[in-house]
Amino acid sequence: MRPQRFDQAKPFLTLALVALAWLFVPAVAKRFLRASFYEIQAPVEVTADRVRALQEFWVLKTHTNNELIAAGRETAAALARYELWAQQQEQLAAENARLNSLLSVPPLPGWRYEHARVLQRDFTAWWQQIVIFKGRNYQIPVGAPVVFAGGVVGRVREVGAYTSVVELISSPGVRLAAFVVGDTRPMVYQGGENPAFGSARGQAENVPVDVVATPAAPCRLITSGLGGVYPPGLPVGELVSAELGADGLFKTGEVRLNPLLARLQEVSVLVRLAPEEGMALTPALP
Amino acid sequence: MARIAVPPSESMAARQSGNPRLQLFYGLAALLLLVLVGGLVWRQLLQPDLYSGRERTQSERRLLVPGPRGSIFDREGRLLVGNRARFAVTLALDELHDDFRQEYQLVRKNFRNAADSGRPADISVAQLEQIARTTVVQRYLDQTNAILGRHETLDQAAFNRHYSQQQPVPFSLVSDLTPEESARLTEQLPVGSPLQVYALSARYYPSGPAAAHTLGYVGLDPDARVEELPGDDLTTFNLKGSAGRDGLEKKFDAQLQGQWGGTIFRVTPAGYRVNPPLEKISPVAGQNITTSLDLDVQLVAEEALGDMTGAAVVVDVRTGEVLALASKPGYNLADFSPRLSQATSADIENRHAWSNRAMASFYPPGSTFKIITSIAALRSGAITPDQLMEVACEGTYTISAGQIKRCDNGLGHHGALTLSEGIAESCDVYFYQVGLLTGADTIAAEARSFHLDRRTGIELPYEPDGALIPDAAWKKQHVQRGAWFPGDTANMAIGQGDVLVSPLNMACFAASFARDEVFTQPTLLHNPTAPAQHSERTGLTPAQRAAILEGMENCIYGPKGTARSINQPGMKIPGLRIAGKTGTAQFGNPSARKDIAWFICFAPLDAPRVAVAVAIESDELGAGESLQGGQAAAPVANEILKAWWSKQPKLPALAPF
Repeated sequence: MRPQRFDQAKPFLTLALVALAWLFVPAVAKRFLRASFYEIQAPVEVTADRVRALQEFWVLKTHTNNELIAAGRETAAALARYELWAQQQEQLAAENARLNSLLSVPPLPGWRYEHARVLQRDFTAWWQQIVIFKGRNYQIPVGAPVVFAGGVVGRVREVGAYTSVVELISSPGVRLAAFVVGDTRPMVYQGGENPAFGSARGQAENVPVDVVATPAAPCRLITSGLGGVYPPGLPVGELVSAELGADGLFKTGEVRLNPLLARLQEVSVLVRLAPEEGMALTPALP
Repeated sequence: MARIAVPPSESMAARQSGNPRLQLFYGLAALLLLVLVGGLVWRQLLQPDLYSGRERTQSERRLLVPGPRGSIFDREGRLLVGNRARFAVTLALDELHDDFRQEYQLVRKNFRNAADSGRPADISVAQLEQIARTTVVQRYLDQTNAILGRHETLDQAAFNRHYSQQQPVPFSLVSDLTPEESARLTEQLPVGSPLQVYALSARYYPSGPAAAHTLGYVGLDPDARVEELPGDDLTTFNLKGSAGRDGLEKKFDAQLQGQWGGTIFRVTPAGYRVNPPLEKISPVAGQNITTSLDLDVQLVAEEALGDMTGAAVVVDVRTGEVLALASKPGYNLADFSPRLSQATSADIENRHAWSNRAMASFYPPGSTFKIITSIAALRSGAITPDQLMEVACEGTYTISAGQIKRCDNGLGHHGALTLSEGIAESCDVYFYQVGLLTGADTIAAEARSFHLDRRTGIELPYEPDGALIPDAAWKKQHVQRGAWFPGDTANMAIGQGDVLVSPLNMACFAASFARDEVFTQPTLLHNPTAPAQHSERTGLTPAQRAAILEGMENCIYGPKGTARSINQPGMKIPGLRIAGKTGTAQFGNPSARKDIAWFICFAPLDAPRVAVAVAIESDELGAGESLQGGQAAAPVANEILKAWWSKQPKLPALAPF
């Protein structure tokens, strides 16, 4: 019989051996295992989302017929309104294209929208990300900007077979060049450290010294389009403070993000079109 | 007899304990142990600071960052010199330790393979490390080039020097990025990349060449000015700061300089930084300076001087604040930021544009000096205002046998004149006689009482001590066969000979005389609550002063005034009455003669607020050519006054001083 002491240490020894063996596993195998784990995990998230959708369906079924009819009418009215806006948008785009051709302005890079349902939201102090239900099956590229009706959502960080992870704009890993509305001097927006139960916030750096922002009179931040990742004009958030930095060259400030980021249900991934893929389509958000 | 048996071990122990050699060994061992313990106590308990200090010195480094310089504003709060961001993409070398090691292993392997295949591979470890480092840095530079669409190349010598001397300081890969380029890098570089966009501070001159000589410029200062920051015993690296090299930037360097900040951090044995830092002190911006300059007036003064060589000075009569200090030719301060190129420096040199002619060029004042001569003559009682001179001006005046002096102004036939007429028409013959009646010493004393023989004390560096009011003693000391002759007195009376003053001297004189006082201290600092300057009175009676003022007024508004050109339609300033005096001084050798066209004035005549002095150098002139003060300098002063007057439409009428 082996000494009892060794039996007690056996799990730790095994763990150490496995860890040691992991060190010698080729990098290709490690990447494969990681990707496989992600792909296996994805159906769980899809199923959970479907269950949530089913719950919502049954919650809606508890409403009376009259309530459902009224909601249907409101939806139809909203749809009609949006269709009208879409038509106006098309007319403006056509007029814009005509003027561009008259002035021989080179076309802006075109974008394709990929609307995707949000499967999972990690909106905690540790993770600021969402998982969306589109991946390589819709040619979603890593690094693509993601938007919603309220502005910038973030940037695609990982792409799976049919899901993708989007790093939210509130994450410290997201940085972009922004303008204050009405100004053309670029500043740097970067996600910040976010409290677990607080509203999403970010940081603005290189803010021109003459920009004044307070919580009562915030300045709207939009994407500059200079960085080459995000199209110009997308809302980022509101600059609610701006204080002169130690270098005296710029101010730094706090940016209040759209609270709807925490309750996203659908987003759009902007996939850049190759130049030969037709007309330029610059996103325009309300 | 029975024997008592003793156990063998006991007997051995007893024997050993009494063994003197063993006892000596024990003693030695104890002594050695005591030495060790004593040494330990000495080092650990009695000298703890020495070793903790050595450990700290070995494992900690200090990085110093200069504070941003203060800005310079004009009297109305408009920015003259500020700071602008100069974006650069930098590479944090201390985050590349693993990259360097992996690349080194790869490079070493390649060289070994090459050696195995028969190719020579005689290379040292240091060379391999250098190749590895260069390869890694080049890779990051390629990444930057790909984003920016540039084709920058690595300055290998600069990189090696930086790595060996400034390793904890980020290495600048590409500098002078445009805001668009910096935005592109900001968005496309990963947040955790060792490549980062860094904003450096550089001087910014929104008005370009305006007041270049006055504002001055800065140069790189490799030395950190730190006295109160902790860690002065540590190995220290510092970013380059800036120091004023000329003008206000130099004079007020101590105030403009920001306070240095710094970071103390731990390093690995290989010298790479360990984050987070142990201590961090933020730099503090320097103080701002509000100058007395009025940007509008300054710009007009420089524009009016145009391509001419010369200077214009505008002084607030009440406070002595300098509203404009223009010197031409000038240079564009924007060329100095971030650094002046050799070609531009050579161009400035060739154009003789370094000199601040308003303050550092000394010319004979010409006929503008006749005001001094007049004051001296009146105060000494040598003449009265209405007195006619013995000899009427017919173009020449015989001082002594064989010494005939010409009247260089107008047609040279002024006839019999009073003092005010002599000033208005600037008759040399009249003032030769006034000078001889007054005497050289009296005129020199009067000029010195107006501080025309010394530095003005303006807040600018390198103000030369070039002003000169000669007299017999001076001539005897400085000139061979230096006897003082009546001709010298006559020359001095009309501001010729050895008299030398700067345009700033003459502007201060004009301001002083406008107040009927003898001294104006010029200043380039604006103080909105500054009281009016006051000094000793000139000592002129009202009638005497009125005679001189009448002459200065008629110089412009009289039918024979030498500055009547600025009273012509299109030149005249409505609502502003000016008192002025022209001057045309000869300068240089007869073979390479130059004229200096002068005009000094103050306005409004009844309640003076501003005084102006303009001096313009001619090119080398031939026989019969001249550059007259009334034609060249007076219009410049007129433009300046027009600009100044246009800003004072609602000033209430002020009582005279």
